[in-house]
Amino acid sequence: MLQCIFLLSDSGEVLLEKQLTGHRVDRSICAWFWEQSIAQGDSFKFLCRVADVLSDYLGGLNEDLIKDNFVIVYELLDEMIDNGFPLTTEPNILREMIAPPNIVSKVLSVVTGTSSNVSNTLPVATASCVPWRKMDPKNTSNEVYVDLVEEMDAIISRDGTLVKCEIYGEVQVNSHLSGLPDLTLSFANASILNDVRFHPCVRLRPWESQQILSFVPPDGQFKLMSYRVKKLKNIPIYVKPQLSSDSGICRISVLVGIKNDPRKPIDSITVEFQLPPCVLSANLTPNHGTVNILANKTCSWSIGRLPKDKAPSLSGTLVLAAGLERLPVFPTFQVGFRVMGTALSGLQIDKLDFKNLPSRPYKGFRGLTRAGEYQVRS
Amino acid sequence: MFTQFGATAESLSKASTMVFRIGTDAHLYDDPDDVNIAPLLDSKFDSEKCEALKRLLALIAQGFDVSNFFPQVVKNVASQSIEVKKLVYLYLLHYAEKRPNEALLSINYFQKDLGDTNPLVRAWALRTMAGIRLHVIAPLVLVAVSKCARDPSVYVRKCAANALPKVHDLRLEENTAAIEELVGFLLNDNSPGVIGAAAAAFASVCPTNLSLIGRNYRRLCETLPDVEEWGQIVLIGILLRYAIARHGLVKESIMLSSRDLENIASENGASDTYQKGNEDSNAYFGLKESNADLTNGVCKSEVVDIVSRSYLEGPDKYLSKHRCADVLSSELEGLHFTSAKDNEDIKILLLCTSPLLWSHNSAVVLAAAGVHWIMAPKEDIQKIVKPLLFLMRSSNSSKYVVLCNIQVFSKAVPSLFAPHFEDFFMSPSDSYQVKALKLEILSTIATESSISSIFQEFQDYVKDPDRKFAADTVAAIGLCAQQFPKVANTCLEGLLALASHESTYGDNAATDGEAIVLLQAIYSIKAIIGKDPSSNEKVIVHLIRSLESIRVPAARGMIIWMVGEYSDIGNVIPKVLPVVLKYLARCFTVEEVETKLQILNACGKVLLHSKEEELWAYRKVLSYMLDLARCDLNYDIRDRARFIKELLSCYIGSSDTEEGKAQQESRDVSRVLAGRIFGGQIKAPSSEQFSARFYLPGSLSHVVLHAAPGYEPLPRPCSLNFEDPSINSNIVEGAKRPGDGATQSESYTDDPDSVSGSLNEESTSDYSYADSIGGSDGTGGSNVSSSLSEVDVHKEPLIHLSEVGYPNANPDGGSHVDNQYSGSNNLGELISTRSLESWLDENPNSGHNLSEPSSIRKSSARISIGHIHGRVEPKICALLDPANGNGLSVDYAFSSELSSLSPLLVCLQVSFKNCSTEPMMNLQLVEDNKRQDSSDHASAMTESSSHGDVPSLVPMEEIANLGPSETINIMLQVRFRHHLLPLKLVLWCNGKTYPVKLRPDIGYFVRPLPMDIGVFSAKEAQLPGMFEYTRRCIFTDHIGELKKGDKPGTNDQFLVICECLAVKVLSNANFFLVSVDMPVSANLDDASGLRLRFSGELLSNSVPCLVTLVLEGTCFEPLNILVKVNCEETVFGLNLLNRIVNLLAEPARG
Repeated sequence: MLQCIFLLSDSGEVLLEKQLTGHRVDRSICAWFWEQSIAQGDSFKFLCRVADVLSDYLGGLNEDLIKDNFVIVYELLDEMIDNGFPLTTEPNILREMIAPPNIVSKVLSVVTGTSSNVSNTLPVATASCVPWRKMDPKNTSNEVYVDLVEEMDAIISRDGTLVKCEIYGEVQVNSHLSGLPDLTLSFANASILNDVRFHPCVRLRPWESQQILSFVPPDGQFKLMSYRVKKLKNIPIYVKPQLSSDSGICRISVLVGIKNDPRKPIDSITVEFQLPPCVLSANLTPNHGTVNILANKTCSWSIGRLPKDKAPSLSGTLVLAAGLERLPVFPTFQVGFRVMGTALSGLQIDKLDFKNLPSRPYKGFRGLTRAGEYQVRS
Repeated sequence: MFTQFGATAESLSKASTMVFRIGTDAHLYDDPDDVNIAPLLDSKFDSEKCEALKRLLALIAQGFDVSNFFPQVVKNVASQSIEVKKLVYLYLLHYAEKRPNEALLSINYFQKDLGDTNPLVRAWALRTMAGIRLHVIAPLVLVAVSKCARDPSVYVRKCAANALPKVHDLRLEENTAAIEELVGFLLNDNSPGVIGAAAAAFASVCPTNLSLIGRNYRRLCETLPDVEEWGQIVLIGILLRYAIARHGLVKESIMLSSRDLENIASENGASDTYQKGNEDSNAYFGLKESNADLTNGVCKSEVVDIVSRSYLEGPDKYLSKHRCADVLSSELEGLHFTSAKDNEDIKILLLCTSPLLWSHNSAVVLAAAGVHWIMAPKEDIQKIVKPLLFLMRSSNSSKYVVLCNIQVFSKAVPSLFAPHFEDFFMSPSDSYQVKALKLEILSTIATESSISSIFQEFQDYVKDPDRKFAADTVAAIGLCAQQFPKVANTCLEGLLALASHESTYGDNAATDGEAIVLLQAIYSIKAIIGKDPSSNEKVIVHLIRSLESIRVPAARGMIIWMVGEYSDIGNVIPKVLPVVLKYLARCFTVEEVETKLQILNACGKVLLHSKEEELWAYRKVLSYMLDLARCDLNYDIRDRARFIKELLSCYIGSSDTEEGKAQQESRDVSRVLAGRIFGGQIKAPSSEQFSARFYLPGSLSHVVLHAAPGYEPLPRPCSLNFEDPSINSNIVEGAKRPGDGATQSESYTDDPDSVSGSLNEESTSDYSYADSIGGSDGTGGSNVSSSLSEVDVHKEPLIHLSEVGYPNANPDGGSHVDNQYSGSNNLGELISTRSLESWLDENPNSGHNLSEPSSIRKSSARISIGHIHGRVEPKICALLDPANGNGLSVDYAFSSELSSLSPLLVCLQVSFKNCSTEPMMNLQLVEDNKRQDSSDHASAMTESSSHGDVPSLVPMEEIANLGPSETINIMLQVRFRHHLLPLKLVLWCNGKTYPVKLRPDIGYFVRPLPMDIGVFSAKEAQLPGMFEYTRRCIFTDHIGELKKGDKPGTNDQFLVICECLAVKVLSNANFFLVSVDMPVSANLDDASGLRLRFSGELLSNSVPCLVTLVLEGTCFEPLNILVKVNCEETVFGLNLLNRIVNLLAEPARG
């Protein structure tokens, strides 16, 4: 049970305070938390949800946005939690109760000086058995899009072997359908899925028996399910770092190239690594792309697309602290990339059926794979 | 940030954001008080009110105290605009506790809103009303909640469920039963949303009243998947507790796997496979006790045992028990078991929680996994592994929580997670805590087959830039090597290489990080060698060689310890020993303290183990070092040197001189002693598992490793039994109870009349009977579902009453005798207190409905205080200050006289005094023509409209002339429209008008109602439950009075206190003092139990109003007073209670 919520700014100053139970918590407690910078417990999940909803409403989450919209934040918090227990966290219902700030309301408030973002009526959905869906929404467009968004996690050890490679994926659905449609989604190869988690709208029994996703979708964008595919063997790109130290200078060279062609263009390739604290200065030059060394000693090499003619490489020297002959520790390289148009796990959607719909909607399917925690050790 | 750009960057960003911030509330947040807020609040436009409220909110957000606007804000509660309402509610909730009196003013509007057609308005009103958290309105809230619990709107019902914990938080015992009944009612709701909220209410209100769950258990299980996620978490926990309390543990589950269940298994004819598995595991443990078991499906029995006991008893209790007694057998042995295969209740629980393992809410998954962990048969636990592992792919904090739980699971059953070791490989985004947990889990679940891959990983981690983590990795390598002797050699090689690698940096780049890695490496090597020293001789030699290069003192110390410990092992070590010792002797002086100590110890040990031929050489080295040590700066080292010298004197001292036999004997003793001290086998400290605390999976306590507030271990298995009559009667009670806040349980257990004898027994039981029947009628069909009890309702109460009534009368009857006895005992003391004018017989148990300890006190004496009215002096308030009134001073005091014209009129003694030097003409007080704004609603609040024609002020005759320093007193009769709001009057004087405000005193809205104690008790008994309001306050006036103490004759402390209290109350309110009861106790200083009763009736409608003060504490300390008001007029009663509490709490004048 939560006793209070404090929203802090980046500098640890209290922006907002909301007491939830009779036992008041002094705001001086925040200073302690700020120093400890830890927050654990099961209530944490709820705080994450609050943050999600807030950033959904405000289009981000920072000090200024909270200050600008503090009334909405208060109203939202009040709706979301009551006496330390979550009350309404379903974003669809919240949206109906408290209108998110938008251009129209801003203009209205400037012109007329009056605008209310608090709804006068209770959203009907609170009473329905599908609380995530507005009752009988009317959409002019009759369409549904299903995206497979995957993140590839991989560990490549010091000697270049693939230790672990798995994909964490999400089925994101964007539905603009009228009425109360009933959708059924099935996969061609559901057996490859290792673990799954579902949006509350998914009926669990059909999945248990036939591995079919049967659901009444919320309106708009939502995460239908997330899944994990383990023990994959193919990684799209390789990164080969080499470090050799000699008399206080460390030579570094990093090579990047395609390993298993996903037959779709790979873009947004980046390589990031943290310089060890004993490195005094670094001189790095790429033959493609740009290198940035940030204040916290993070090197970021953005490559973009792989050029056709050459393999991108980064080479340079690191000057070590006085007295150090060799580099005692080795950085880990974080690789980022994006492959549009394919789900690298190989998961395929078989079909999407509709029930309870007047006309056949337009269906769209897409795949996208990004690098998740894709790390190469040197 | 770049400081040099600071100013411009800031202003730039301000300028740029200004553009985007137009139309938002930003300006309100930045300068909340750039306009005057007060007039905006009184504006008639909703938009202006809104703005003012937003500004107030901004101030609250920034931590300012704006509670001074409270009265103005509360007024706006009546607004029709939803947004204003919402903002007012936000403000109200923040400050209600601070300004209870003003907050009470809003209650009426909430009650009005509760009848609104818009469910949103109803829900908000209920939420705010409950959120105000004032004791006085608790009965009203309870009524509102019970009404809303039957609301057609799901949202309102949900809010009703959420309001219950708030009411319960006020800790009013008399409401508990009603609250629990409402929880039961809401759990019976057919909407999953309401059930979730009701489950949360159950968990915070009455988590142990599992019989409420029993009625709906199946249905709750079936709706579980439809309940919203937050409710699911709570509900899962409740269902688990119920299942254990009802059916006990599942005998196939791992919770019981460690216990010898063979007999039970054979009794029940359990499956063969299970029995076989059990035997296997036993045989296995018999063979390899020390080794970690890693084979299929076997769990570490002792860990599982601790875990399961901790779950059931709470780790603190378990640990303390474990420490003081080595007897492991506890009452758990007598547990009942059930089988998941036969028991439908447990089957359905497991069936309904298993799909929740796919929930997208981590906490739900964790809760569901907890149920399976505790209840599922061992072969089914596998189910929870993958979902748990999947949870790790979320935020860092959830990852930590999940890992904490996996850690315990994997400790108990390593095989569960063993195949998934890859999931615990570090990812770069992990925090240090997460990494440390992962390492621990990895070293727990490592198996023969996976250890090589895990080692590969470990080798990579050792080079991680985070040196603390690298050190932990080294420790984990040591642990694994001890578990798997096969890989020990590889580990040792790796660790040695690491140690020599690290030690090369030892000198120059030695940071703390490097030191800890090196230290940990040596420590791990030491631990591995300790398992099998003889075969690792080479390693020791290698380490000794590297002594030269290792500079970390603690690491050196450890190597030197090994030198001493293993000095007689193998062939090589004894050969290098002389060189090593000489080396140590040479560098002794430059060593750190801890290393020096180790050197001394090692030399001692070497000497002890040495053979004859080398003895002489070692002896020389040792005495050289002892000489050095004797002159050391550090006294620890000097002490150690002396100690070793004494102990080993037989070795050091030259053996050539022959001494007496006695000397020889003492030498033998010291030889044995030295052998014991230096050669004794050191037992490795027992594994940390025994001190580990285990809390229920998924609980906060489990993460922080101490019992968080509200943590409860699992209930005792099978503690809930439906054959138990107490539960049945509980349900009967529940069914009788309409949930309207009336507390019937007291009405028959604690019957005042049967004791005092002023009314006969039959009539009282009739009354109670009628009450309970009325209650069951009130509930109507709503309780039909609890049909189990319905049949009993009509006959049970009577039986109940006659049964409970008699035994209760007996002890009280007995106390009469008791009292006389104790009275005669204390007679000497009592007679000396002359002021006790009379003794009545014992206290007729007036503690009815008062749930506080003084009702237990059996003996008390009743006294009457004489001449109290002489000391009563009404409080005088100023109506007009001479400074404002050109020298005219007008004071008023409420009079205890009663108006002859109308019962609505209150009498005031008004005194006009001319402080100026000139006479004054034509003084008169008249009504202000302008009626007060809010008097309309206010009058509706207190008085019926039939009295509407009574004027506010009975016209007073004009005072024609008031000479200088002359004073005229006049009796004024006034009708206040509301008992809190002031009456505006106009004072005419010399042709001028002065607006004045007459403040009402609620204490004079009553007139004394003389009655005797019997009647008082009877009346009090008729006003239970929602007509009774209590509050506590601190009274200090008597201390000053007692300290004066010079008045002879009144020096009895109790009497002084009673007089103080009575005078204070009677000076401020028009009551009749019914009785003063004094406790008779051995301790003369203890004023607890002192009880004053006042009675009165409302002027307007003659409704009786009873006030009881009960004291607690000792005479010379501030007293804690419980004030109780019984009155049918709810709002009046509440306000009166507040008034009395305030006047008692405020210090005496002068």
